[in-house]
Amino acid sequence: MTRHAPPWRLMNAAERRRYWWGHWRLGVPAATTLGLVFAMTAPLVVPVPIFPQLALIGIFVWATFQPGLMTPWIAFLIGLVADLLFAQPLGINATLFAFAAGFVRVFETRYGHHAHGFDWAVAATLIVVFELLTWQLMALAGKPVPLLPLAWQVLTSVVAYPLVVALCAWVQRRAFGDERS
Amino acid sequence: MRREQNLALVGAVVSGAVIATGLLLVLVARVNPDGAARMRGVMLDLVTPVWSVARAPFDGVGRAVSWGGDYLGAVGRNRELTTELAAARAELQRAAADRAALAALKRLQRVREPARRVIGTARIVSATSGSVVRSAMIAAGRGDGIGPGLPVIGADGLIGRTVEAGNHAARVLLLTDPASRIPVTVVRTGQAALVVGTNRPSLELRDRGGADVPLQAGDRLVTSGDGGVFPPGIPVGIIINPAEPPAVRPAASPVGAAYVTVEAAYLPLPALAPETPLGTPVPIEARRGGGGTPAPQPAAPLP
Repeated sequence: MTRHAPPWRLMNAAERRRYWWGHWRLGVPAATTLGLVFAMTAPLVVPVPIFPQLALIGIFVWATFQPGLMTPWIAFLIGLVADLLFAQPLGINATLFAFAAGFVRVFETRYGHHAHGFDWAVAATLIVVFELLTWQLMALAGKPVPLLPLAWQVLTSVVAYPLVVALCAWVQRRAFGDERS
Repeated sequence: MRREQNLALVGAVVSGAVIATGLLLVLVARVNPDGAARMRGVMLDLVTPVWSVARAPFDGVGRAVSWGGDYLGAVGRNRELTTELAAARAELQRAAADRAALAALKRLQRVREPARRVIGTARIVSATSGSVVRSAMIAAGRGDGIGPGLPVIGADGLIGRTVEAGNHAARVLLLTDPASRIPVTVVRTGQAALVVGTNRPSLELRDRGGADVPLQAGDRLVTSGDGGVFPPGIPVGIIINPAEPPAVRPAASPVGAAYVTVEAAYLPLPALAPETPLGTPVPIEARRGGGGTPAPQPAAPLP
C-alpha cells in the first residue's frame, strides 16, 4: 500500500482506476467479518442458540491483526448488518461490536501483544461479557430473553475461537503478505 | 507527536460517539420496534437466495442422518405402530360419528366459521441459530402474498408466525423464541392457556385458566383460535412435565428440509375502526357539558 498518493492531476483515467482499486485490501477485514455474520444464518435449526458468535470473534481477531482496519465505527456498521440479519432490535450488536473493537484497541495499546493462549482467555472473557450485555440490552430494547441458554453459545464460541483465528490468519497472509518479512 | 495525540483523541471521540449512537438506537427500537422493517426486508431478500442454493449439502447430511435413523429403529417402530394402529382404527370410527354429529349440530345452530386459506407453501431456507432471536427464513415473501403476522404450519403442527417480509423471503418467529405467545387449549381438560418459548428445546405453558385441574404428562395442546392469527385445532405440543410451570415439547420441528404452509390470518382484525355516520344521535351529556365528563351519579343507598 502506498502511503502517499501520486498527484491526482498527473494520472490518466486508467491510472486513477488502478489507484482506487489498489485500496481493496482496506475492505478485507470488514468483508471477512461480514462473511462470518452471514455464516451465522446457516440453515441449522436448533432450539438453543448453539451456533458460535463468529462475528464477535472475527471482530476481536481483526482488531488485533489490523487495528487500523477494524475500528469501532466499522464494527458498528457490521453490527447493524448483524442486527438486521438476526432479527434483533437495531443497535444491540452494533453497540456491542463497537464496544468490543474499542476494548481491544485500548487493551492492546495498554498491554501490547500476547501469546495465542492469553488472547484466547481474553476472548473468552469478552464473549461472556458480550452475552451478559446482550441479555441486558435485549431487556432494555423491550424484548427480554432468558440468560441461561446463552451459556451454550459461550461454550461453542470459546471452542470456535482457534478456528476463526486460523481463518483470519490465512486471509491476513494472503491479502497483506507475511508480517515477518 | 502532536499529530498522533490528536489522532488518538479523535479516535476516542469517534468511538464514544459510535457506542452512544448504538445505545440510542436500542432506545429507539424500544419505542418503535418496527422502525427498520423495510431494511430488514431488503436484507432477507439478499441473504435467502444465497442460502437456498448453498444449503444443498446441509440437506444431504440431514437426509443421510434421518435415513440412518430410520433403518436403525425400523423394527421397534413397526411393532409400536402395529399396536397403535388397532387402537387408532376404533378411535377413527368414533371420530367419524362425532364429526357427523357436530356438522349436523352446527348446521342446526347456523354456526359460521371462517375458512382457512393457504397462501403458499415454502421451505425453511436458513435460521438464526447464533442469535438470541429464534427465527427461520422461508423463500417466499410479499411477491407471493406473504406479509408479517401470518400463521406458519408444518406437517406435524404449528411452526410459528411470520414477523418480517421482503419481496422473495420472509422471517418466521419460531415457537421456541422468548417473544412467541401461542393461545392454546388443553385437549383433555379444555383449559385455555398460552404457550411461551424459552430459548430452550421445551416450551412453557403459562396463564392457564382453571389451574386447579391438574395436567398430566402426555396431554395434547392445540391452538385455540384466540387472537385471530392461528386457526383453531392445530397441534402445538405435548405436556412432558406437569409441574408448574408445565413444560411442553413442540409437536412440529423445523429441523431438516421442512416444507411449511403459510395461511391467511384466521380472523384478521379490521384495519380501521368503524366510522360513526354523521346522523348518529349525540348523547345528552356530551351536548350539555361541551364534551366534558358527565356529572357523577348519586350513589345508590345501601340496603
